[in-house]
Amino acid sequence: MNVLLVEDYQELAKEIVDFLTKSGYLCKWVSNRAQALEEIGVNDYDAMLLDLGLPDGDGFDILKDIRKKQSKTAVIVITARGELNDKIDGLQLGADDYLTKPFALTELGARLFAVIRRTHGITTNEIEIHNFKIQLQDYRVTFDDQIINLTKKEFDIFQYLVLNKNRVITRLQLTEHIWGDILELNSDSNFIDVHVRNLRKKLEKFAEIDWFETVRNVGYRINM
Amino acid sequence: MRIKHQLTIFNALTRFLIILAIWLSLPILIEKVVYKRIDKTLLEKKEKFIEHLDKEEINDFLSRNDATETFASFSTLHNEFLQLYQAKEIPKNKNSYFKNEARIIEGEQSDYRVLYYDFVYENTNYKLEIGSSLSEIKDLTLAIRVFILIVLSIVIVFTFLVDAVFIEYLLKPFHQIINQKIRHVNEPEKFNYTVIKSHSTDFRELDEVLNQMMKRIQELFSIEKQFIANVSHELLSPIALLKNRFENLIQNESLDEEAVNKIVSSLKTLDLLKKIINNLLLISRIENNQYVSDERIDCRSVLEDIREELQDRIDEKEIDFSINLNEHYHFAGNKTLIHIMFYNVIANAVKFTEPKGTITITDVKTNSQYAITVQDNGCGMTQEQTAEIFNRFTRLNINKEGQGLGLAIVKSIADFHQIDVVVTAAPQKGSAFEFVFHIGKKV
Repeated sequence: MNVLLVEDYQELAKEIVDFLTKSGYLCKWVSNRAQALEEIGVNDYDAMLLDLGLPDGDGFDILKDIRKKQSKTAVIVITARGELNDKIDGLQLGADDYLTKPFALTELGARLFAVIRRTHGITTNEIEIHNFKIQLQDYRVTFDDQIINLTKKEFDIFQYLVLNKNRVITRLQLTEHIWGDILELNSDSNFIDVHVRNLRKKLEKFAEIDWFETVRNVGYRINM
Repeated sequence: MRIKHQLTIFNALTRFLIILAIWLSLPILIEKVVYKRIDKTLLEKKEKFIEHLDKEEINDFLSRNDATETFASFSTLHNEFLQLYQAKEIPKNKNSYFKNEARIIEGEQSDYRVLYYDFVYENTNYKLEIGSSLSEIKDLTLAIRVFILIVLSIVIVFTFLVDAVFIEYLLKPFHQIINQKIRHVNEPEKFNYTVIKSHSTDFRELDEVLNQMMKRIQELFSIEKQFIANVSHELLSPIALLKNRFENLIQNESLDEEAVNKIVSSLKTLDLLKKIINNLLLISRIENNQYVSDERIDCRSVLEDIREELQDRIDEKEIDFSINLNEHYHFAGNKTLIHIMFYNVIANAVKFTEPKGTITITDVKTNSQYAITVQDNGCGMTQEQTAEIFNRFTRLNINKEGQGLGLAIVKSIADFHQIDVVVTAAPQKGSAFEFVFHIGKKV
């Protein structure tokens, strides 16, 4: 999951980036409105944490911009203002949640997880897919109460495909959301196949997984 | 040599030459003036003598030294004399004339200025000589010369010092302009527009013109920055839009395989385009100093992070990858950029190393330098290739993919942080990239 953090207060930003990285997100930090607009114009983020008071303009513009694109990005507005009007404006413009400074990082983590889940139409912490249970927050996949040991990358791939179920996800998309914004040109995405192959092997030990489809030359799809 | 030294030396030299000329011409001038004066007195004496002259007096004069028929009279100190004697020949020269001569008077020799006058009195030829001593004058000239020598040397030394101080004072604004405005300022945002105080119009003008120039540069710089921002937004947004559209198109079940393949390869092209633009933007941002460089960076942790990111590819090729660092080197810089710098080089090494090859990262520290070397045993490069790898869009191996921007970025980032990159490589023997950090040098 890649997350864009728009925050001009460096100390806080570093703390959030640290926390989110440890929680398993890919976190990109920008400190002003111009950079934020550029980032959302270019990359497809799973979530955005948006501070409204930015040095070069109002954070609401960024919110408007991202909603115009009809993207699936989940947005949490962070602000020190804490005023009701801001809150209503923000939510009307399409923010998914609202956090007032100061806040505990764990709260941020919980809310972020919840909004991402919600944007994919999932309301519980546990997704069940053909008898496999995915505990999103605990990085755990079980089958009949048996724990399947997945590496972090395997879990990330599985989770991303499940969240975007019934859609073909290209290798490039997987790279972008799991390995992040690699600047390297034409980095071959073969290594994704290796992870997927390993993931499939681990799942196949428990049940038939014909719903885990490889779309030739394109990518993967999980059907439900 | 600095202007102040040049000017002071030049001034001292010209002054010295003028003074030397004065000093050398002084005796001649003095003599001319003094001789004129002496000549005048001698003429006056002659006139006086001639005026009172009569037969009696001549005889009186002559009779005193009868033997030689010469009359001579001296002043007590021998600084003047008068001589009259009969001449045999008829005078050729009717006028008085002067000569410097050495005379011995009463056993004492000294120089005299002598007036000669020939005249005829009652059919007898006479010769009159009136002399005036020169020794005193010579003493005086010498005294004056010594005196002037001392005075002028003092003048030279004094003016030299005054010149040095004054020129230093005059040129102070110049050095201020250089130090405050030009030397230590690399980024247009940090230009210093404070007016440098100066009593010379020239420096005020220079300062003003410099300020105008800096303002223009700053404007151009911000235009360029704006341009970069525009380009990134205007070019990259459509790419993102197309990407979304293609990704949605793929979901369409009715597409045949050929159409899907075309869409996927379009997506790849778009991704490539996006990365090229991002890379070019990155280079231009680095070169425009748009990055802060005050983050504390630990080389070891940066390298470990990169190893983790590349682990998949390292494993896939079964590369023997090791990081053997002896030092814990920290420096101030931009973490994102340093990460990209090492990432590009290491990812390249992974790409160009054959399966089961080795990549080793080592470090060396001396008093003034810290160096990290990334060594692989891949296909290596020829000398000519080594020289070219940092140019943009240089691709060494046509078969391998890539657009040749990675190492151009490495170079830009290294330059930005004042890190030297030394490449040593030989064909089939692998390549080594050495990053040399200068300890204690401010970025």
